[in-house]
Amino acid sequence: MHLPDSPLTPAPPRRTVPLAWFVVVVIVAAGFSVVVGAVIYAVRPGPAAGPLSVTDDLGRHVSVSIDPAHVVVLGPSIMDSMFRLGLRSHVVGVDCYAPSLGGLSSDYSPDQVRNWNLSASMCVQTGPTFDVEQLLALAPQLVLATTIVSVAAVEQITQTYHIPVVMLQPATLTGVVLDDQLLGEIFNVPSATTALVNALQSALFQAASLQNNLTTNGTPFPTVLVTYSVDGNGYWTFGPGTFGQSLIELASGASISANSTLPYPELSGEQVLASDPEYLVYGTGYGLNESAYSSGPFWSQLSAPQDGQAVGMNSNYFTEPDPTMILMGLPQLIAILHPGLSA
Amino acid sequence: MGAPSAAPAGTPKPLGRRPWVLGLLLALLGVGVFFSPLLGTVAIAPETVLRILLHQVSGGALYSNPCAGASVPASGCTGLIEIVWDARLSEIMLAVVVGAGLGISGGTLQGVFRNPLADPFLLGISSGGTLGAAVVVVFRIGVGEENLLLPLFAFIGAIATGAVILAAARSRFGSVETLLLTGVALSSFLSSVLSLLLLYNPTGSLQVDFWLLGNLGSLDWTQDGIAFGVVLVAGTLLATYGRELNILQLGPDVAQSLGVDSRKVRVRLLLLASVTTAAAVAFTGIIGFVGLVSPHVVRRVAGNDYRLVLPGAALVGGGFLLAARDLALIAFPGTLLPIGIFTSFAGAPFFAYLLYRRRHVSSMGGS
Repeated sequence: MHLPDSPLTPAPPRRTVPLAWFVVVVIVAAGFSVVVGAVIYAVRPGPAAGPLSVTDDLGRHVSVSIDPAHVVVLGPSIMDSMFRLGLRSHVVGVDCYAPSLGGLSSDYSPDQVRNWNLSASMCVQTGPTFDVEQLLALAPQLVLATTIVSVAAVEQITQTYHIPVVMLQPATLTGVVLDDQLLGEIFNVPSATTALVNALQSALFQAASLQNNLTTNGTPFPTVLVTYSVDGNGYWTFGPGTFGQSLIELASGASISANSTLPYPELSGEQVLASDPEYLVYGTGYGLNESAYSSGPFWSQLSAPQDGQAVGMNSNYFTEPDPTMILMGLPQLIAILHPGLSA
Repeated sequence: MGAPSAAPAGTPKPLGRRPWVLGLLLALLGVGVFFSPLLGTVAIAPETVLRILLHQVSGGALYSNPCAGASVPASGCTGLIEIVWDARLSEIMLAVVVGAGLGISGGTLQGVFRNPLADPFLLGISSGGTLGAAVVVVFRIGVGEENLLLPLFAFIGAIATGAVILAAARSRFGSVETLLLTGVALSSFLSSVLSLLLLYNPTGSLQVDFWLLGNLGSLDWTQDGIAFGVVLVAGTLLATYGRELNILQLGPDVAQSLGVDSRKVRVRLLLLASVTTAAAVAFTGIIGFVGLVSPHVVRRVAGNDYRLVLPGAALVGGGFLLAARDLALIAFPGTLLPIGIFTSFAGAPFFAYLLYRRRHVSSMGGS
């Protein structure tokens, strides 16, 4: 049978290079494309240098113009700072989830939407995918972002569209103060910054004083579980190195998750029962309330609920590293953990 | 070329070549590329989009003010041009390049493994890419250069995984079954390591989700160029192996008798498919089912000849991913969702259909 174009015809001997050379050539060719692209990327001009150079919370050096008029804020914690600094009018866009999956209400509580006068037209979709089109349509001069946005996306905004991005993601309450000072510097609002920073430092100072007094008197800190979510497996809380842990320590509480190996661990019912904290502080809002937590593992067997020391607290007061956490969350947590002092 | 009505036992299935199909697929892809920029999350009048495209393509010679008469947002005409040209068109071109890469890789792997259910992610290459990206995120490598380092590490992770598979293929235990199982085991292992890493950096999971869900956004022309370069080099080389793949379908012994060293060809094809898949994974993450579905579509319309299946799968893959992007924007206007969700949405039923069809054919005693 002779089929000139058939696969059964013995293949003409392909003039092949040895396998090892073939592997090398392919990898070098592919690698060459990657390297050429990387070099092109690296030598592209970045955003035009602004008059002010700042270092953000990720250690990135960013040039920004002073007092930019149009700002997109990607993260409720930064929006809180902007509002308290009197800079709401500068904000033209905020983060939100996909409109068909919740939109603005997924990232901001009804109180925040109302108080900060946010609207759907300000939405820049950050989840589940970051939408650069919506950002570009708002023409911001500056983007302020938490890690709610992929850092890679941030770099693209900076490199491709020449929009400076400052990342603000403080890990401690002191970091919140520093970030507010940074915002005050960028927007050139010294008096508002001084007022806010003084208020924040005053709250932190009072908390530190209480901490010193208790330590000096040898009074042990009450054990506590601060949880912001619950499911059938256990309670989600803060581990070492997080702003939540920083809050608990400043409120003179002994977190039962202080020795966790994870930053945001989920403590199992068994772990919580074994620690049996004196206080349970659970986050409310965003669909969570006491009944949701009371269905958590071993809840009814824990001492705190039985002793009336399971207390709900607005999630917005302790789940975002912002001024509200210091001005509202910290005093409220101190009042919960040390009721005798606030009485 | 029609099949003989009473083929003797052992005669291979006719290849049924229809080369004109490639031209048709190319034309369809061109139409898709032309019209896709009309769709996006920001509403822009179609005529404005077309004017902007012509303005950009002509280097500004046509329509000196492409936004004239259009409803211009706060960003002005420059912003509209950035949206259409940089954000939208670069995304579309990447969809075509990545889809083509996944399609031709899928066709190759189905031929190498002689298994119609094989696809580029079966070998754990995508898991390796995702793990590479996660390393950058979790250990905060190269702060300020993530946009470059994430795809680079993802590429390295994918290639490293591919290297393990290649080593297995070259060993004396490198049977088809061993390779498949090695890939499955590697994929599971790498996924476990990824989960462990993310436990220690939950905020990083947001960024890693980008790879897990598959995504065309957050890209630019440089990344398009890199992906295009890699896919072009590796894909073109792959396309030259159609004849060898046809012969491999007859089994290693027959292939040997016909002058094809099946092990050597297999290693080369695995290498090229790994490089192509790695380039795709590096920029878009895991986009499932494109590599699985595309070769089957080509076989249905153009026959089984791998000389057509491979380039055809590249064209169908590019078109499939582009169509998934467009349909997602039509179904959820104003919303950008991970593209991997939609390719799986379309691909999963097709996968089930393939399984059903195979069982049905087997039970009917068909070939």
